[in-house]
Amino acid sequence: MNRIRLLGQWLDDRLALGRLYEHTIGHRIPASSASWWYVFGSATLVCLIIQLVTGVCLALVYVPSPDDAYASLEYLDYEQPFGWYLRGLHYWGSNFMVALVTIHMVQIFLFGAYKYPRELTWMVGCALFLATIGMAFTGQTMRFDQDAYWGVEIIVSILGRLPGVGEYATHLLQGGPIVGAETLSRFFALHVFVIPGALIGLLVIHIRLVLVLGISEYPVAGKHVEPGAYRDDYEGVVEKTGIRLMPEGGGKDLVFGALVLLAIVLCAALIGPKIPNGPADPTLIQTVPRPDFYFLSLFAAFALMPPYLETVVIVYVMPLAIVLLFAVPFISRGPERHPSRRPGAVIAVTVVLLSLFTLAWEGVQSPWSPDMDAWSGVPVQPRFVRGRSPLAHAGATILQAKQCRNCHALDGAGGKRGPDLAGVATRLTEDQLIRQVLQGGGNMPAYGKHLAPHEVTALVAFLGTLHPENQPPARSAASSSSSPTGFPEPR
Amino acid sequence: MIPRLTLLCLVVASTFACDGLPGRPNPDDRYQRPEDVKDFGALYATNCSGCHGATGQLGPATPVGDPLYLALAAPEYLRTIIAGGVAGTAMPRFGQEAGGTLTPEQIAILASGLGARWSSREAEKLAAKAPGLVAPVGGAVPGHDGQVERGRGVYGQFCASCHGPDGRGGEKAGSIVHAAYLGLVSDQGLRTTTLVGRRDLGMPNWHDLGQRPMAPGEIGDVVAWMASHRAPAP
Repeated sequence: MNRIRLLGQWLDDRLALGRLYEHTIGHRIPASSASWWYVFGSATLVCLIIQLVTGVCLALVYVPSPDDAYASLEYLDYEQPFGWYLRGLHYWGSNFMVALVTIHMVQIFLFGAYKYPRELTWMVGCALFLATIGMAFTGQTMRFDQDAYWGVEIIVSILGRLPGVGEYATHLLQGGPIVGAETLSRFFALHVFVIPGALIGLLVIHIRLVLVLGISEYPVAGKHVEPGAYRDDYEGVVEKTGIRLMPEGGGKDLVFGALVLLAIVLCAALIGPKIPNGPADPTLIQTVPRPDFYFLSLFAAFALMPPYLETVVIVYVMPLAIVLLFAVPFISRGPERHPSRRPGAVIAVTVVLLSLFTLAWEGVQSPWSPDMDAWSGVPVQPRFVRGRSPLAHAGATILQAKQCRNCHALDGAGGKRGPDLAGVATRLTEDQLIRQVLQGGGNMPAYGKHLAPHEVTALVAFLGTLHPENQPPARSAASSSSSPTGFPEPR
Repeated sequence: MIPRLTLLCLVVASTFACDGLPGRPNPDDRYQRPEDVKDFGALYATNCSGCHGATGQLGPATPVGDPLYLALAAPEYLRTIIAGGVAGTAMPRFGQEAGGTLTPEQIAILASGLGARWSSREAEKLAAKAPGLVAPVGGAVPGHDGQVERGRGVYGQFCASCHGPDGRGGEKAGSIVHAAYLGLVSDQGLRTTTLVGRRDLGMPNWHDLGQRPMAPGEIGDVVAWMASHRAPAP
């Protein structure tokens, strides 16, 4: 025992470990900062460590070339013992990291912890947030599957809209004029060298700032931050009621960090990694690419906004939003820190989060994308077949064969781009149905040139049967016929 | 010391048990390029179920899951239709050579898989008594006047009780002489429906239609009569 102690003392003497401890995890923090609200930053760090360790392990197997990347992923998933688990840890680690860094930012914002003197801590934190998002995106690209391919296509399209530099930025990122052999190498370099390097450098500055400026004390309503007096006040608080970060103050961080670790381990074991959804091959048309969850909001926003807004958003709104994010400490300079005295901040957070979640939900549903296999793969439900005439049956086959189902669902089954057709006969008369099919309108193209008269008649006969049993079909007031198709109402 | 060792062993053992956890990717869910799909169920669901129904019945198109139909339709016949479609109807050409998406191998899997999944011994016995699914070559020319006249009579005897006295629809079933319907169905389609029926929708097959089974010639006659109502496409 004595020898170990001697060795310890020798190391301490040479490395000054005791002083290092005093100035880092042993430094004194206000007792009020040892709160469950203050655990998200350290939990993000836990994720980063998991990502670094699992990332290095993955890099031992992963081949960053377009020809082999996908195959090496399949090797990890299906051949290598625990390869899938390693991928699961890295995948869920990234999900948790993005989520936790966001929660950390929201907490800092709501608690006004970015205010004097911690403006720079906030700004470096914003850069860390962007680096994390960059890691997430380049990581999604590493799968080099359909999601990755189309994700890159979208990002370079966004970059390409930037005036002046767009073309060069696109070329630089893709390693050429199109997404090709060089592109994956560029993203690999970004994912394992450039962004992690920047991230670790920024993290060092971030932690240095936290140590130098101290962890903000728990906000108290009415207690003001006055730039002249704040530092003395803070030092006084630390002097009087301060506790050491370790071991007294950091217990909650340790517990929460362990819970995050456990959650990642469990998610990886029980849900597993994201299975690559087909090689990055633009000739595969039967594909439904979707970004990972952190980009669903952006995906939905661009899908839903009118085309004339896209360039405005890319060139002005998005850069402005980033500048605003960095400038938060200089815009919000009021002395209050407690959220109950800062309704504007609470409203801003609520609106932003609600918008992001709503857009992400829309992104999951993505009703704007036609279901390209619905015409041949989503059956006409038997209740829409029974009791119909042969003509209506022929119309139903036209509905399928002309791919109407890709955009129009029948009672929820099928594409969601156009209105659901179950019950369409109660909304449109026979004439209106014919006009809509022939001329289109709203978002619907005109099908007049693609349908023979027989086909239109049959299709409209089928559509005319799509009404609830106890609700008659819509009928033009000018028409005397009781049936839209000239034969007795189908049963 | 021993409990710790046991604990360590348990942890190591559970780590190896990990490989059977639900998160482990199932090789069956592995992505396949569309042209590599060889499973009948997947091919049928993706390409056929839209019109022919999830179980091969109760869809708007020919009930390819009807055991009687499958007993009558040879895989070669089905293969031709799947690959080349049926001109003038909604049945598209699925063969790659015809601009579709299915490889010859996939079409063969579909053609033989239909029978393997849905055929029945009972239907095969019934089919042995049936006239051929395809009209015999060299038979009466469809649309020939005499044949049409005979067909009108056959119609009155076997079909009118449901489809109405003149074919324009009755109490139990809709019109079979509507020009638009006839414009979207082939003569073979009319023959198939007459022969096989739509038992999923309540229409009997040729054997159970009336007091006695329809004779082979009568099927040709009634098809000719229905086809005579075709109007040239405007």
